[in-house]
Amino acid sequence: MTNASEVLSSIQSAFPGAVLDSRVESDRRLWATIDSNKILDVCKHLSSKLNFDHYSGSAGVDWIARKEMEVVAIMASHGAHQVVAMLKVKTPRENPSVKSLTGLYWNANWYEREIWEMLGINFEGHPELYPLLLSDGLMGAWPWRKDFKGYPDLTTGERAVAITTTEGYTEYHFPPTPAEIEAGTVVTQRPKYPSFREREEREIKSDSEMIMHLGPQHAMVPGPFLLDILVEGERVKKAFLDIGYIHKGIEKIMENRTWLQGITYTDRMCYVASLSNNECYCGAVEKILGLEVPLRAQYIRVILEELSRIQSHLIGTGEFLTLIAGVGFAPWQYMIMDREKIISLIESVTGARLTHTFVRFGGVRNDLPEGFAEQCRKDLPYMKSRIEEFIELFAQDPIYHARMENIGSISAETAKRMGCAGRVLRAAGVAYDMRREDPILVYPELDFDIVTGTRGDSADRIDVTLREILQSIRIIEQCLDKIPSGPIKTDVKIPKKIPAGEAYYRVEDPRGEMGMYVISDGGDKPYRVKVRGPFYATFQTLTPLLEGVYIADAVAIAGSMDGCPSESDR
Amino acid sequence: MLKRKMIKNFTWPLKTATQEIEVTRLYPEVMMELPAAERGIHELNATICIGCGSCARVCPNSCIEMVHFKFGNPLKNKKMQFPQIDYGRCMFCGLCVDECPVECLKMGQRVTMAGWERKDIIKGPDFLATKRFSSKEVADLEAEAKRIAAEKKRIADAKKAAEKEGAAKEGAAKKPAKEGAAANGAAKKKAAAAEAKPKEGGAA
Repeated sequence: MTNASEVLSSIQSAFPGAVLDSRVESDRRLWATIDSNKILDVCKHLSSKLNFDHYSGSAGVDWIARKEMEVVAIMASHGAHQVVAMLKVKTPRENPSVKSLTGLYWNANWYEREIWEMLGINFEGHPELYPLLLSDGLMGAWPWRKDFKGYPDLTTGERAVAITTTEGYTEYHFPPTPAEIEAGTVVTQRPKYPSFREREEREIKSDSEMIMHLGPQHAMVPGPFLLDILVEGERVKKAFLDIGYIHKGIEKIMENRTWLQGITYTDRMCYVASLSNNECYCGAVEKILGLEVPLRAQYIRVILEELSRIQSHLIGTGEFLTLIAGVGFAPWQYMIMDREKIISLIESVTGARLTHTFVRFGGVRNDLPEGFAEQCRKDLPYMKSRIEEFIELFAQDPIYHARMENIGSISAETAKRMGCAGRVLRAAGVAYDMRREDPILVYPELDFDIVTGTRGDSADRIDVTLREILQSIRIIEQCLDKIPSGPIKTDVKIPKKIPAGEAYYRVEDPRGEMGMYVISDGGDKPYRVKVRGPFYATFQTLTPLLEGVYIADAVAIAGSMDGCPSESDR
Repeated sequence: MLKRKMIKNFTWPLKTATQEIEVTRLYPEVMMELPAAERGIHELNATICIGCGSCARVCPNSCIEMVHFKFGNPLKNKKMQFPQIDYGRCMFCGLCVDECPVECLKMGQRVTMAGWERKDIIKGPDFLATKRFSSKEVADLEAEAKRIAAEKKRIADAKKAAEKEGAAKEGAAKKPAKEGAAANGAAKKKAAAAEAKPKEGGAA
């Protein structure tokens, strides 16, 4: 089994002088600063020789005091080994520019686009540096830079100026005030690029083709996003995705809140998975602090996260099944009724139904209430019988099969190359689960299987999801048997100012691999929080998957991914 | 025929408006049972709140403001500042409850807070306080606080006077005078706390 120091020595021997600075945190984490001229060669070496076939994302950091910017590429492997290499490349703050990894890793595209639009770091050789999350009006403001002064408040209707266009429409403009121009909050120099509309209209080659809009308010994935498909007859020729309609700037908000307050913001990234988001953030901070979580708290966290996974899977699957004809509305109603039981169980511990704010640095907020285990032991077997019923129901429904089988199939190779996460990856047959790959809490002591599919189509994704619920039930039952008594919070006093350091922590979200990269500069607020969301990774693969399918299948493919644009936009 | 129907259209609402007919019904008919851990509307124990403002500082949405409220404990909360919560902003995260040093703020099972205007859902300590002193008890406590303040002032004056004397005498006489005054002050304080305690218990 490869470990981090072996990876480091391999890079050092292959490229002497390429590693400027390095730190082996543990067997599974390698931090290295790579010479910006050699980053492509190092990545090639990693992917060809050391099985680093998973580009997990990248983060941009603005070190304003050191007058430099950093791009941190997060590299991992799909099961060959468990090392996560955090490769940093530095670039001066004036005209920042680094080499793009899109030539090596297909999925680097979105991550680098995001860094470009937020921090203004240019990526040499990137095929499409267009805005992803931000609107065109904000381009050039570089909002994630530390010297960003905020943009004009455009929320008040009073400052809107109505202009009648030549076609007779009324358009509203929000001109900046002189004070705002003086303060430097108004963008004066915008980068030039073709707009989203221009880009998609360029692709229309003949009169028989047209562009159809699905969204921004489309039901197939809960949350707003714009999916434009170029169709010829009933076939989709090309798809264009525009996200960022629900971009909340959570990462930037968290830089302006204290460490403790940050927990509440992680809830709001994806409200059906708020417990795993809490866990991810708190785990990263605990890693910086070097805290040990009491055993009972670890078990409580695992129980609640698995319960949360069940409810997330139920609502995700149920909601999707309302969209495809055939199975119809009934499963949704049954699933939402069953989900109510799980939600009540979680509520009895955390006190909230969706946004839990439950996990704390070094522990949890509340202990399990009296009678929780009994209620769980009563509800979980019922849930198990229901899930088995659903699996059977979908297995024998011919209309469901016609709608779902061999639709949006994705092979294991493609899924790995595109960097999918969660059920999409596992349905393709890749057993990649953070609970095994990067075990946290008490997961190594628990016995569970990683569910995989064979065909990688929409039907498989739903099947994997439902069978994952059975595994979650298994985990909870084991936890209830094993849970020890003891404290639920660490005795160590959590300081208001977290010591300087950085950590990358991964959890298995209901939607797949989720990671948070947290940097502290010793202050009472995080210096940088980067969220590597699972659906962001999967969402990117939607456009190539839609090429060549029928219009009606677009719903079956996008919906089966169990999407949450709120989390991908953050 | 048509006319009769039109008249019926008017008479029916008139009839129903005068009689007490249930128009809106609660659904589900019985409200869901909420667990003990539920994070609903805050419950403030005004008798022990010290008005430190920790809750206001930790609130991520800054929805807590410290305002004046009469029925608290003037011995502990000298400026009589108590939290007022804007439920239009509150996200029920419960950080204020965790942060409270005297555990006077809790979140209960009350969840309904609808109002006709925005200012209706800004709830002051009058709405939040589940435990409070009556006006008479507050008056007593205030008198007590005044007495203690007067006592303190007297001690401080005495101390000053002693210091002046000490300064005049110079050297050896200074130290014992000071120590004596401090010991005296501590004893008085203890006595005052002992007096205040039974009253609190009575109110609770």
